[in-house]
Amino acid sequence: MNSSETFHVVATELVVGAFSVAGLSFTLLLLVHFGILKQPSWISMFDHVAHFTLTFGLAATPFAILSGLSSAPGEGLNSPILVNKIFLSMTGFGFAVGCLIVRWRLGNNVWDSKKSTSFHVASGLAACGLMLLTASAGGTFSRGESLLDMFHLPYEHVLLFPILVSLISLFLGLAILVLSWKRMNAISSIH
Amino acid sequence: MFVLSLLLLCSIFGAAEPGGNGDSLQDLQCGGACHGDASINETSTTILSLSTDETIYVGIPTTITLTVTNFETSTSGLIGLFLLTDMTGHSDMPQDAGWEILSDANGGAMNYIEQTLGPGQNETSISWVVRASSLGSTTFYAAIHHGGGYSSPYFGSTASGHEVSVQPVPENLPRLTADFTPPTLRIIDTPTELSIQTQFTETIQFEWKSEDGLIMNSIVNSSGENSWTTTIPAALQSTTVHWRVILEGEGPAQTTPWFILAAEESSWEIEESTVYLQAFALLFMAAGIVILLQTRLTSSPSFAKYDETSVVDEALGAYQNTSPGTTLAPIPEGGLPNGWSEEQWELHGHDYLAGKYGGDQA
Repeated sequence: MNSSETFHVVATELVVGAFSVAGLSFTLLLLVHFGILKQPSWISMFDHVAHFTLTFGLAATPFAILSGLSSAPGEGLNSPILVNKIFLSMTGFGFAVGCLIVRWRLGNNVWDSKKSTSFHVASGLAACGLMLLTASAGGTFSRGESLLDMFHLPYEHVLLFPILVSLISLFLGLAILVLSWKRMNAISSIH
Repeated sequence: MFVLSLLLLCSIFGAAEPGGNGDSLQDLQCGGACHGDASINETSTTILSLSTDETIYVGIPTTITLTVTNFETSTSGLIGLFLLTDMTGHSDMPQDAGWEILSDANGGAMNYIEQTLGPGQNETSISWVVRASSLGSTTFYAAIHHGGGYSSPYFGSTASGHEVSVQPVPENLPRLTADFTPPTLRIIDTPTELSIQTQFTETIQFEWKSEDGLIMNSIVNSSGENSWTTTIPAALQSTTVHWRVILEGEGPAQTTPWFILAAEESSWEIEESTVYLQAFALLFMAAGIVILLQTRLTSSPSFAKYDETSVVDEALGAYQNTSPGTTLAPIPEGGLPNGWSEEQWELHGHDYLAGKYGGDQA
């Protein structure tokens, strides 16, 4: 039976690999859309690759988070880096979920305008960036160094909201999610 | 492709775990796995030398000292040192041979420890305090990981083992109990009260020294037969204290090895439920905001799909082009026919004049 440490390494490699490809595809998609990369025929390919890999990475993320929690030395959340990893990965998870839902529900219309295209790509890149930042924090936690050390990121500091603020944020987030979902469904019901 | 090629090339100049792997219980296979065959096949002038007390009794702590000389390090000065009981690569920790590690040089109880040496330092000596649980002989080995200033990292071990023979304990020998486990960690700013259990001991002296090497004595109080307590003053920073006891009784006096007690900051704590609540709040807020803003920025797919404005305009234009004239029909001299509005005349005036509505100007 494999240990949770080994399982965590496998899961994080899947997550990081998938999100890296998604981030690269989103970037190239943006360049094509804005005419910097003059290959319009690539749009469909990058569109599919970006969203497929984002979905794949998203599916692997819960396994990475859970195996990471069980493989961390000591009991519970005994390091600020672990807490920051949870915040970063969950926020990235949220961005990825939002990005995929709008692509699914709004279809190709997300590419209709420059503003819409920019925002969609930005949300996808935010998800990828946060996941890679999580991986970097993991490197700092386990090996004491990571590729992003040059930026001196404050992994040792935790921005913890008061519980009331977290509760309000949670309900506000759920409300926004439900309202946005209804708005998309209302549009769809005209069909 | 260029970026990927660059990253692949960079890996040649990298080293596995250059920041260390942390003190831990590791067998020899770990060293091979982390540094790979390349490091095992490297050569080094390092000399590893193990030494122990001449007489080792079963159940009584003893010191194994590893002296390492003539090695080079990377710029970080980090080296990793192993204490092993065979060279098979697995199940070769002292624990696997029936030995218990009571303390190591870093204030833990691990067989693999890391040390950061100063620039130019190429010699060091470290000790483990161990305890045998059975009689017989055991061969100890040492292994080292070290980086290289101008060469590749090296991973290697002692050429031959250091054999020790465990003997039975003499009758009435003053000693620590066989199940006594010394603490290895304490919290900064908190005095440490030690409880020591002994056998065949009538008096006890407690000595401790900090990193400056000055040996101090602490008062020892008896808390029962062969049970003693003493206090080590609080540490003001992350540092180590070495302590030992001198036991006297009917048998010959015994001095224990120097045990190491490290001081560290109190462990970091956080309310986990608050963390998870905030994490889920961040998840839903991020997803909700993305969907909300994207829905606002994107034109409605259904409206766009069923937008027939262009079709209507086209049909209206065609209708107007096929009308008898694009100009208004002239209003009769008597004014608009009875019951006609101006709008009706605009649309159907030509038809009226053509007699389609019973007009008199056929």
